[in-house]
Amino acid sequence: MKRMSRREFLRTSALGSLGGLGGVGLGLGALGAGALGGCATPMKGDIARKSGRRVVVIGGGWGGATAAKYVRLGDPSIEVILLEPSREFVSCPFSNLVLSGVESIQALTHGYDGLRRHGVKIRHEAATAIEPDRKRVRIGEGYLEYDRLVVSPGVDFQWERVPGTGPMGEGILHAWKAGPQTVELARRLQAMPDGGVFVLTVPPVAYRCPPGPYERICQVAWYLKTRKPRAKLIVLDANKDIVSKAGLFKAAWKAYPNIDYRPASNVEKVDLATREVTPEIGDQVTYDVLNLIPPQRAGQIAVQADLVGADKRWCEVDHVTYESVKHKGIHVVGDATIGLPVPKSGNIANAMGKIAAVAVVHLLNGKQPPQLAPGNTCYSWVSNTEAIAVVNSYKIENGKVVQIEQKLTPKQSVEVARNSIGWRSSIWSDVLA
Amino acid sequence: MVRLGRLLAGCAAVTLVLAGGRAAAGPLDTPGAAKALVCSACHGFAGQSPSDTMPIIAGMLPEYFKKAIRDYAGGKRPSPEMEPYSKMVLQFGLDEIAQYFADQKRQPTSIKVDPAVVARGKAASTQCVICHGPDGKGDPARGIPDLRGQPPAYLRSQMVLFKADQRSPGDDALKALKALFKTLPDEMFADLAAYYSSLR
Repeated sequence: MKRMSRREFLRTSALGSLGGLGGVGLGLGALGAGALGGCATPMKGDIARKSGRRVVVIGGGWGGATAAKYVRLGDPSIEVILLEPSREFVSCPFSNLVLSGVESIQALTHGYDGLRRHGVKIRHEAATAIEPDRKRVRIGEGYLEYDRLVVSPGVDFQWERVPGTGPMGEGILHAWKAGPQTVELARRLQAMPDGGVFVLTVPPVAYRCPPGPYERICQVAWYLKTRKPRAKLIVLDANKDIVSKAGLFKAAWKAYPNIDYRPASNVEKVDLATREVTPEIGDQVTYDVLNLIPPQRAGQIAVQADLVGADKRWCEVDHVTYESVKHKGIHVVGDATIGLPVPKSGNIANAMGKIAAVAVVHLLNGKQPPQLAPGNTCYSWVSNTEAIAVVNSYKIENGKVVQIEQKLTPKQSVEVARNSIGWRSSIWSDVLA
Repeated sequence: MVRLGRLLAGCAAVTLVLAGGRAAAGPLDTPGAAKALVCSACHGFAGQSPSDTMPIIAGMLPEYFKKAIRDYAGGKRPSPEMEPYSKMVLQFGLDEIAQYFADQKRQPTSIKVDPAVVARGKAASTQCVICHGPDGKGDPARGIPDLRGQPPAYLRSQMVLFKADQRSPGDDALKALKALFKTLPDEMFADLAAYYSSLR
């Protein structure tokens, strides 16, 4: 069997999401100094000998960064090591506004020094495997022992379900992980000819951020209406209807006659050479710019570690502790989880990260974890100035997360947009400061 | 020699585990802290909101907090954001969560305000001191909140609601306040908000 070099392995596992872009521009850390250059020589054996109790966290996104911070807040005698290839945190929430030029990618980009101030030890490397029986996380040939592990791997893409795309989605822009792809998609949108066609595809549920594609449609449509009034935006939605905040989005779309929304139009295949997308039902479309958001599953490490269910997509967890139902001692939070009546959102990942952290601290101290539930506040910008929101709160009933209530904003408004700015400054601080 | 070293290290590790790790109580150690975890996403850790639109609830009077939660849950303070969360607070324990926030030390907002706007607000605040005091500290005995250092956008948003009688309609304690706001022009609210936000 041909031995894969560490460089190759890291590129295919944690970094494959950047596709064929080559990692230029912002967010270089993921492909540049971060994972591959941070350590001069690949390490073998025990990378950092464990002397006391240790929690390892895989993934420094909304769930993982939060969990790492809150374990330290809960019990600073517990060592926390966070594995995150990227040296920067780029917020997916608000990244749709980078496409329309309403927001800059810089405003959404943060460093990890806040976590370091809490004593979180950050290694800018990707976990390559988990050995649950030995309670070790592997980084190539090296390993880190843990007492408890928190896995927050986000999502990865099921390119195999979109014929015509390569195994790593080379040449396709999903921009479904904020960073270089967001900037590139914005550039292509701006370079599109007036009278051109922008095609956006929405994957079948479940996927990261239910209203995300529809907010993106608003931002692209607003931009085109303003700058390229003869251009069109064709949406091929695999779902039968708008998946989230449907009434509010439909009301917003009245302002954008350039949107051609086609539900029940799952992508059958793509031809990058001829620039054609063929849905299972309905007409083939030709694009000038394609934003294909592919079907999704839990991040690769969750699949490798067999934390996923029979369909190899999502991780089932205990609703109180977020402990994996398949492997004890491993907690999974964020988009990678399934079975809770909650959306896959950054806010939910942040809530799960906190609750799992508190559970882990209690368990490591021999105490029963409290029964806590998450909440979700979700804003979508429908133009350059107005936004809508949906809010859900939950409780625990017989050990399961159950929804208390869902509320929608009655209409789009500048006030809701203002609230979303308040939300982002608070929650970014909660995750990273 | 090596074996002795390992034995000592082993003993130290066991001692550390038995000791339970740490002596002093940490910031997440009270039941109220755990139940209030979800709130930090908008209101900041320990209720110290870094945002302009969500209020600082650290150090809030318990009765004021509880009334706000009840009013949000009952639809008297219309807020799609707060209504589901207020019901969550009621579900998990209003008294405990109120006490947790009351016990937290409050810092003023880090949101900056324009000194010229603050000066206009100060000049406009002569009637406000009747209830909120000359220093904006309020009066706990009468349930009048401390406005000092709250973020300006939040303060302004509440003034808009008071003027439109959309915040707790029919609440007798707010009658005089709302009557006063009805006489004020909307443009004055940002000035008043900046002034009270600037107070320390």
